[in-house]
Amino acid sequence: MMGSLKKSKPSSGQIFIVGIFIFYMILPIIATYIFSIATRWDRTILPEGYSLEGYMEATTNPYFFITLKNSLVLSVASVLVSLFVVVPTVYWVHVKLHSAKPLLDLLMILPFGIPGVVLALALVQVYNFQPISRSPLLLTAATVVFTMPFMYRSVSNNLAAVDIPTLTEAAQSLGANTFNVLWRVIIPNIFPGILSGSLLVFATVFAEFTLARLIVGAGFKTFPMLLVEYTRKDGTIAAGMSVISFTIAWIVSLLILWASGKGIKVSRESIGAR
Amino acid sequence: MRQSSKNRNRVLSWLGLLPFLLFCLAFEIVPILLLLRDSLFTRAGELTAANYQGAVAPLYLRSFWNSIKLSGITALLGTTIGLVVGYGVFRWPSKRVQDSLIALSDVTTNFAGAPLAFAFIIVLGSNGLITQFFLKYLDIKLYPEFSVYSLSGLILAYLYFQLPLMVLLIIPAFGGIKKEWRESATNLGANTYQFWWNIGLPILAPSLIAGFVLLFANAFGAYATAYTLTGSKLSLVTLQIGFTITGEVLHEPGIGQAMAVLSLLIMGTCIAIYQVATSRARKWTRG
Repeated sequence: MMGSLKKSKPSSGQIFIVGIFIFYMILPIIATYIFSIATRWDRTILPEGYSLEGYMEATTNPYFFITLKNSLVLSVASVLVSLFVVVPTVYWVHVKLHSAKPLLDLLMILPFGIPGVVLALALVQVYNFQPISRSPLLLTAATVVFTMPFMYRSVSNNLAAVDIPTLTEAAQSLGANTFNVLWRVIIPNIFPGILSGSLLVFATVFAEFTLARLIVGAGFKTFPMLLVEYTRKDGTIAAGMSVISFTIAWIVSLLILWASGKGIKVSRESIGAR
Repeated sequence: MRQSSKNRNRVLSWLGLLPFLLFCLAFEIVPILLLLRDSLFTRAGELTAANYQGAVAPLYLRSFWNSIKLSGITALLGTTIGLVVGYGVFRWPSKRVQDSLIALSDVTTNFAGAPLAFAFIIVLGSNGLITQFFLKYLDIKLYPEFSVYSLSGLILAYLYFQLPLMVLLIIPAFGGIKKEWRESATNLGANTYQFWWNIGLPILAPSLIAGFVLLFANAFGAYATAYTLTGSKLSLVTLQIGFTITGEVLHEPGIGQAMAVLSLLIMGTCIAIYQVATSRARKWTRG
């Protein structure tokens, strides 16, 4: 827009506004990184000294690795369930069942309208029998429901950008059977979408606190749950754990950028682990 | 004959959808419908409004008011500031800087929950970085008037994920304002103010409305950030519903169900408006 009015240098007002925005977005992150290696930082503008003690203390707590493992297991399980439940469905609707698109769209918007606490309350009350009651299994189902839209959007955007019927016909005319068409032609073509969808699900579930705390609670402690505990006990350790969370989020975001650079646009406006 | 095989194909096609539909029914739709039913009936199976009457008793009404205030303020601030920042980013001459700023928004809007809450304690807590800076260099005492653990603190923390979300939503909308329109308007004698009021704003309006309701819903449903920052000091709808599940604060389960249904209604309305507004907005950003 307004190409003719575009200058080669930003105006001072623009620099001011964008500068404040960057400051607001970066300061809490930098402060957390510094706090995690500060010895004491409550009387001065800059810390009085630096050490890695927070990290060492954090990692000597056996819960550190247990919760890290729990969160990883939960995230990977959610990605796998999502891959088996969501991806084939999106493909199926795209190729064979266009008339189901509105229904699928609606089902994929629903999770945005359900707060995590409400989903947790509904699931806990319905599944109040053993062995599923308050189990990590029920939690996985909840995190999959919660993150379905991420997988859906990534994969369906990718499908829309690829001419599936032509590719399928071309492969079939060269003698490929259904399995080969899917494995050698379709999946490689929608792989960037599947990858960014999986990464989004992974990152969201890894940072997820609400469902984990309310559905399972202390029986299956996740990394964010331990982090919240430490915010009330030991600031340095809490900061160290926040740094680990931030870093994982950065890495996943970079990977998604890299994946989406491979030809599809990943839409991300949605409701995460707030 | 051909007709019947066609029908059979259709049925088979729908069967392919079955695993997914069953999953949604089992873990999303049926539990929500049962929640709705339980909120409306007594244990003996009689229709009752008692749960809803309980949910609007002063104690819980205040949590609705707090949640609506928090969501409304952060959505309003997020929309207006996001609009200005988004325009600044959109007009930035260097494409590289623009892409980096969009990437920054993309990452930060997903930094939420406990790590974000703790980052704000470090910056704005009673011994926080900014708190000390104000005290030492500007001689301004932020505490006790301001507190990161109160509503004012939550507003600043929520803005951290609301603002970049709005920036991401509004940038494509600016792309919908064609430069030819600006030129034509200028040629016809319109000044900048007239252009924005008569042309720019109406084009942006659906995106602004979509942004506002999405931000509102985003804040209304949030739990982790508020839980970490305020604990139980500030009464919010999501925190109250959480207490029903954990049983930390004793209350009637029926009231928790009624509050959950009411918040579903509020969120559902927001998402419905969002859908309508984005489809309107797409009219401009496409093509």
